[in-house]
Amino acid sequence: MANDLDQPMVYQIRIKGHLGPQWADWFGGLSITLEDDGETLLTGPVVDQAALYGLLRKVRDLGMPLISAVRVKPP
Amino acid sequence: MSTPILATKLYAPPPRPKIVLRPRLTERLDEGLLCRLTLVSAPAGFGKTTLVGEWVAGCGRPAAWLSLDREDNDPTRFLAYLVVALRTVAANIGEGVLGALRAPQPPPIESTLTTLLNEIATIADDFVFVLDDYHVIDAKPVGDALAFLLEHLPPRMHLVIATREDPNLPLARLRARGQLAELRAADLRFTPSEAAVFLNRVMGLSLSPEDVAALETRTEGWIAGLQLAAISMQGHEDTTGFIESFTGSHHFVLDYLVEEVLRQQPESVQAFLLRTSILDRLCGPLCDAVLLDPSVSGQETLESIERANLFLVPLDDERRWYRYHHLFADLLRQRLLQGAASSTGDVDDLHRRASKWYEDNDLEVEAFQHAAAAQDVDRAERLIVGEGVPLYFRGTVAPVLKWLESLPKTVLDARPSLWVMYASVLLLVDHTAVEQKLQAAEAALHGTEPDDRTRDLVGRIASMRATLAVIQHDAETIIAQSRRALEYLHPDNLSIRTATTWTLGHAHQLQGDRAAAREAYDEVISTGKSLGDSVYTIAATINLGQLQEGDNRLSLAAESYRRVLQLAGDPPQPIACEACLGLARIAYQWNDLDAAQRHGQQFIQLTRQMGSVDSFASYDVFLARLKLARGDVDGAVAILAKAEEFVRQHNFLFRMPDVAAAQVLTFLHKGDLAKAAHLAETHELPVSRARVHLAQGDTSAALATLAPWRRQAEAKGWEDERLVVMVLQAVALQAHGEEDEAAQLLGDALALAEPGGFVRIFVDEGTPMARLLSEAAARGIMPGYSAKLLAAFEAEEQKGEDGSYLPPAPPAQPLTEPLSQRELEVLRLIAQGLSNREIGKRLFLAVDTIKGHNRRIFAKLMVRRRTEAVAKARSLGILPHRN
Repeated sequence: MANDLDQPMVYQIRIKGHLGPQWADWFGGLSITLEDDGETLLTGPVVDQAALYGLLRKVRDLGMPLISAVRVKPP
Repeated sequence: MSTPILATKLYAPPPRPKIVLRPRLTERLDEGLLCRLTLVSAPAGFGKTTLVGEWVAGCGRPAAWLSLDREDNDPTRFLAYLVVALRTVAANIGEGVLGALRAPQPPPIESTLTTLLNEIATIADDFVFVLDDYHVIDAKPVGDALAFLLEHLPPRMHLVIATREDPNLPLARLRARGQLAELRAADLRFTPSEAAVFLNRVMGLSLSPEDVAALETRTEGWIAGLQLAAISMQGHEDTTGFIESFTGSHHFVLDYLVEEVLRQQPESVQAFLLRTSILDRLCGPLCDAVLLDPSVSGQETLESIERANLFLVPLDDERRWYRYHHLFADLLRQRLLQGAASSTGDVDDLHRRASKWYEDNDLEVEAFQHAAAAQDVDRAERLIVGEGVPLYFRGTVAPVLKWLESLPKTVLDARPSLWVMYASVLLLVDHTAVEQKLQAAEAALHGTEPDDRTRDLVGRIASMRATLAVIQHDAETIIAQSRRALEYLHPDNLSIRTATTWTLGHAHQLQGDRAAAREAYDEVISTGKSLGDSVYTIAATINLGQLQEGDNRLSLAAESYRRVLQLAGDPPQPIACEACLGLARIAYQWNDLDAAQRHGQQFIQLTRQMGSVDSFASYDVFLARLKLARGDVDGAVAILAKAEEFVRQHNFLFRMPDVAAAQVLTFLHKGDLAKAAHLAETHELPVSRARVHLAQGDTSAALATLAPWRRQAEAKGWEDERLVVMVLQAVALQAHGEEDEAAQLLGDALALAEPGGFVRIFVDEGTPMARLLSEAAARGIMPGYSAKLLAAFEAEEQKGEDGSYLPPAPPAQPLTEPLSQRELEVLRLIAQGLSNREIGKRLFLAVDTIKGHNRRIFAKLMVRRRTEAVAKARSLGILPHRN
């Protein structure tokens, strides 16, 4: 399957604990979904690997336990 | 690095009065002292800094502390702070290293570290070195430096690294070797009993064991969480209710708690916390400047926040500087941005106020950083340029470059001076990227009003192109661009004008136009006298010395080189290495080989810390000639082979002719005429070619090669080359049979060489020159100088050296009437210095008879005096040179 270079990658980052909606800006416009099991999903387009690592660093720096970071098909 | 050292980075957090004692952890840290590295690796808020600080205060060893920040990704800065931190445990360590780091071309990292490690090894006591917040380091050179440090860690040094993520160091290897002690999140969490002590005893709450357990579970022993929870509860009346809501929600712990804690603070404190969160470090006056609220005292507020345990960390003992706990600061910042979402102008304002305060207090780097954060481009540019020397010339390259890289093209196009700045900074970092920026600058300047400023910018662009051409050794471009630059640069822009004038001189020197070069260098030096000597004064003085060497004015050149060593400080800056090399060459020429070797050693010392420079090739050529003079031909061959490889590898091709000429000499000494001939031909070296011809016995060809070359040298004013040619011509003439002409020419050469005190230029020609000199002495040509040179020859012979590689010269013109046996005897005794009476006694002859013999000897030798007789006899080979 050819890689469509125009489509950005979409990542879903799962962290432990619920974040309020006001955090969307901090995470560069990712959508925030609160799960019943007490975890939060941050979902959205990530321009490239450097941007991804930048996001992961933000998660790290705020002391939020990282559960997973998965690349998903764009909706 | 000339930016000031921040003492706060070296400040170890002092032990606090009310803390939870954690002997299980301090014991682990004590045990860790047996290893090389103790790693404390856990996310933010696990009390790493507090724990390590407490432990270090009580561990019984001297400790150095370094709190890292993003700027320490610059390896030069990192190393500088490493040294400064080490000085808190060993007073004068790393003096030379700091000096080398301040040079315009800092040395390669490994060599600096090796020097430093050797010095650390001399520290008598066991000590601890703490690197806090290591996770901010992501630059490979710094990571590599630390890995190197760990690999060669002196036994008395123990390293502690506190970080939020495992560093990119060979941890597995260390673990396998038992060289690594670790404390991780699981270790650092409060145990239920520790949590109980913290909440009830330290924070003064009175919670039931069930409450403590619930909190401990909810926070999972996370210290920051527990601390915030405790602060919240201190202000709550209904602690049970609080605990229920808190433990009942999934809400991200920190977010929830910070919200709680902030809500409890008075408005003014909330505003204080949020607004000052933009600051990396805080002091009372700075906070006042940022808040602009006369009803709030920054200093008082800071002290009360510290007392409330609200995550404020002191950075010194005087309660002057603080910082927020990183976690807390990040959250506050996030809140600030959120609240200001509608008007980000507010946050920019805060940064601008901070920038102004820093500027007023002469803290230029921070002033710049806040101006950049405030998105105030003009202010940031102004702060970078400063009053005199821009920040990026004073060690602050990375932050400036990062800022320039972040600016959108439209912003740069609107300000051509920023494009020019961008090019200047890149010139320090990656000169292949410079031309593109220069073109962008020119495009941006296109169509603007020509005025003083834009003309100056055009001049600066040309001056940078000249510098780029220096790297390419492209003399013509250098000259064209330098002239253009000097035409456009503002007359007051002395620093760049000086730099440009120097490059112009350098280009002239490359082309062999010595007069023009000297003019340029003289101007640089005189500007230096009025402006204050810069690195260009040193460079120009070195070049002047080289030109003086070229004029055969060796004493003057030596003076220039000594002046350079004076200017270059103590210990001398590496740039002075060429001066040492010059002194080495001059000492060699004066036949003081030991001094030459010493100066050569000094060159090696200074360049030890440098990367590969073309000067190394010069040194190798010098060393090869020194070895030749000492008879070590194979050694010389080896050195020159190495030099050739070095020159080719690094593309210093303009050095090749010198190397080749020296190689020709070595091959001639080894008798390998074919190789010598090939080299001389390939590199088109007239003097070398002539030597080869001489070695082949083809004196006509030698003379034919030398004559035009001498005319060329005289036309161009290359006095040094002229002297070399004249000396060689004299030898060639003698070999050719033209005794009279040879002696005459030698006399001219001696006259030229005497003021400079040249010795080796003659001695290196070996026996034929010795004969020639004796002949000259016999003819009364420059007797004093000749005698001195002949004495040098004698010294060489006593060492068993014979500088000559030439085939034995054809027998000198024989005497029309040879000396008789008796006359030879008498002559030998005359040579030994015996008087006529003593000779008579020795040979059992009357004095009159001796006098008669003398008359006949003098007649046959065509001389009039004893000394002349001896000299002539020696030159004819009738008497040996040595007594």
